[in-house]
Amino acid sequence: MGRYAIRRLLQLVPVVLGTTFIINYMVWQLPGDPFAGRCGQRPCPDSYITAMREQFGLDQPILVQYWNFLKNLLTGNFGTDFNGVSVATQLGDAWPITIRLALMAVAFEAIIGIGAGVLSGLKRGGFVDNVVTVSTLVLLSLPIFVTGYLLQWILGVQLHIIEPTVSDAATVPELIVPALVLASLNMAFTARLTRTSIVENLRADYVRTAVAKGLSNRRVVAIHLLRNSLIPVLTFLGTEVGSLMSGAIITEGIFNIHGIGGLLWRAINGQDYTIVVPVATLLVLVYLVSNLLVDLLYGVLDPRIRYE
Amino acid sequence: MTEVLSEQMGRGSHGGALLEVDNLHVEFRTRAGVAKAVNGVTYSVDAGETLAVLGESGSGKSVTAQTIMGILDMPPGKITGGEIRFRGVDLLKLPDDQRRKIRGEGISMVFQDALSALNPVFPVGWQIAEMFRMHRGTSRADAKKMAVELMDRVRIPAAKERVNDFPHQFSGGMRQRIMIAMAIALDPEILIADEPTTALDVTVQAQIMGLLAELQRDSNMGLILITHDLGVVADVADKIAVMYGGRIVENAPVHDLYRDPAHPYSKGLLESIPRVDQKGQELYAIKGLPPNLLEMPTGCAFHPRCPYRRDNCVTDVPPLYTISGTRGSACHYWREVIDEGER
Ligand SMILES: Nc1ncnc2c1ncn2[C@@H]1O[C@H](COP(=O)(O)OP(=O)(O)OP(=O)(O)O)[C@@H](O)[C@H]1O
Ligand code: SF4
Ligand SMILES: [Mg+2]
Repeated sequence: MGRYAIRRLLQLVPVVLGTTFIINYMVWQLPGDPFAGRCGQRPCPDSYITAMREQFGLDQPILVQYWNFLKNLLTGNFGTDFNGVSVATQLGDAWPITIRLALMAVAFEAIIGIGAGVLSGLKRGGFVDNVVTVSTLVLLSLPIFVTGYLLQWILGVQLHIIEPTVSDAATVPELIVPALVLASLNMAFTARLTRTSIVENLRADYVRTAVAKGLSNRRVVAIHLLRNSLIPVLTFLGTEVGSLMSGAIITEGIFNIHGIGGLLWRAINGQDYTIVVPVATLLVLVYLVSNLLVDLLYGVLDPRIRYE
Repeated sequence: MTEVLSEQMGRGSHGGALLEVDNLHVEFRTRAGVAKAVNGVTYSVDAGETLAVLGESGSGKSVTAQTIMGILDMPPGKITGGEIRFRGVDLLKLPDDQRRKIRGEGISMVFQDALSALNPVFPVGWQIAEMFRMHRGTSRADAKKMAVELMDRVRIPAAKERVNDFPHQFSGGMRQRIMIAMAIALDPEILIADEPTTALDVTVQAQIMGLLAELQRDSNMGLILITHDLGVVADVADKIAVMYGGRIVENAPVHDLYRDPAHPYSKGLLESIPRVDQKGQELYAIKGLPPNLLEMPTGCAFHPRCPYRRDNCVTDVPPLYTISGTRGSACHYWREVIDEGER
C-alpha cells in the first residue's frame, strides 16, 4: 500500500501542473482588462494600464508568467493584490474560517446523516424512517442557496434566533446554521446512502451468522452490521469534501462570512486575479488530496481491496 | 451453558431426546400470499447422534433449522405452531436473552456458503475469538490463543500465521473449516450443519464430512446434517428424516431406509442416486414439480407425483404412521411400498 500511495502522489504532479496552468491561462485571457475599470467613471489612462501590467508581469509570455507563479507557489510568496495588500495575509485570515466551516459541515454530515440513516434503515417503514425519507427528499430538492436564504430569513430576520450575518470572528456557534446549510445536500444523501447500505447488509449472511453466534443485538448492529455498511458512506463523505468547497463559496456569500469563498467572490467581481489564482489552486489541491486520502481509506476499510 | 440455565432446564431429567422439534409450523407472509414452508415437522436428536435431513430444494429443511437457531427472518416468517424443546424446555417460549445464551453455547450452526457467512472485514481469528470474548468474557489475548488452537483442531495449516488473515484469503474448504471452528468453539451440545459441503469440490466435501464426523465423535455432540446428497448420508448418519412440502414424510434409522423405504418419495430419492452397478443406464428422476407452497395440494402433498396414488390420497392427509418404534411414514400405503421392494 505504501508503494501505491507513492505512485498516486507522483500521479498528482502532472495533474497539479496541468490544472494550475489552465487556471493561470484562462484567468488572464478572460475578456475585459482588469485594470481598465479601476479609475472611477473614466477609462484608465494607457500609461497606468501599462505600468500595472508590467508590475504584475502580464507583459511577459504566458510560460514565463506560469514559471514565476510556480516559483512563488513553492516559496509561499504570493505577492500583493491590485490594491497592494499582501495576498498571503488575506489567505491566512480567510482559510481558518473556511476550514472551520467545512469541518463543522462534515461533522454534521457524518453525525446527523449516518445517525438518521442507521435509525431509518434498522426500522424500515417506521416513524423515523418516514420522517427521514420525507425530510431528505425536501433537502435534496432544494439547491443550497435556497436553503441558505430561507433559513437566514426565517431564523435570522423573522424569528431573531440567529444573527442574519456572521461576524468577522466567525465563532463556532455563529457557524452552526451556515454549516448546516452547507452540509444539507450531502447530509441528506448520506442518510439515504446509509439507509440503503444498512438495509442491504441487514439481510447479509454474515449478519445472520453474528446472530447465530449468540451475540447481543447491540453488538451485531454496532460492530458487524455498521462496520460493513459504512464503507460506501465514508467513501462518499471523503469524495464530497471537494464539492463542499464550492458549496462553501455560496454559503459564505449568503451569510457574509469572511472565508475563502467570500474572498474569492469579491476577487472575481473585482477581477483581481492575484487572489483568484492562488485560491483556485488551493481548492484544486484540497480536492486532489482528499480524493487520494479516500482511495487509501477505502483500502483500510475494506480488506478485500487490493492495491496493484 | 451457565449453571443456572442448565439446572433450570433439568439436565437429562425430562425424559425426551436432547433436542426435539415437535409439530412445527412456519409460514411466510409475502405479497404473493402465505407460503406454508413448514407444516408440522417433527424430529429429534440425542447427544452423539447424527440425524440427516433430506429433501429437495424448498422442502423446508433450512427454515426448520433457522427456527431452531432462532434466526428466522420475522417478518416475513411467522411461527404458527409447535414446540422446539432443548433439554425439555420449549425454546420458542424462552425470553430473548436466555435464547441468545443458547446460541453458540447450546446449539450452533454451520452454513452452506462460508464466504458470505463469515464477516468480510474482520480477520478469521478475531471472528472465532469473539465467541470466547462475548460468551465467556475471555481477554483478547487469551481468546486469540484459543482461536489458534481451534484452527489447529480443524486442521488449518499454519494456523498461527493465518489467524489474522481475512476470509477472502482462504480457499473454500479452509473457510468452511473456520466456520466449523467458530461453531464448535464453545462445545455446543447440538451442531446443525446446513449443506456444509454443497459449495465445495468433491474431494474437499469428503474431508469436511470426515472432520464433522470426527469432531462429533470426540465431543459427543448431536449433529443435524442437512443435505441433498444421499451418498454422504449412508456413511455418517444414524437416522434420516425425509422432508417433502414442509413435512417429514419418512423417518427411519439410516440402514432401514436404504434397505426398504416406506414412502414413495424416499424411494424415488434412493432410485435417483447414481450407482456403479447401473452405469450407462438412465437415471431415475422423480417426475413432476415440487409443490407450490402458496397452494398446497389437498390430501397427501405428494399425490400429484406419486405412482402409488389412490383416490383417497387426494382428499385424506396421511398422518405420520408408526411402522416400528423408530420408524414412521406419512403414506397411507406404506405397507405396499415396503413390500414391493425395489421396483
Ligand atoms: N425469508 C424468506 N422469505 C420468504 N420465503 C422464504 C424465506 N425463506 C424461505 N422461504 C421459503 O420457504 C420455503 C422453504 O425454504 P428452505 O430454505 O427451508 O428450503 P430448503 O429445504 O432448505 O431448500 P434448499 O435445499 O434449496 O436449501 C421455500 O419455498 C422458500 O421460498
Ligand atoms: S399417501 Fe398416497 S399419494 Fe401420498 S405418498 Fe402415499 S400413496 Fe402416494
Ligand atoms: Mg436450504
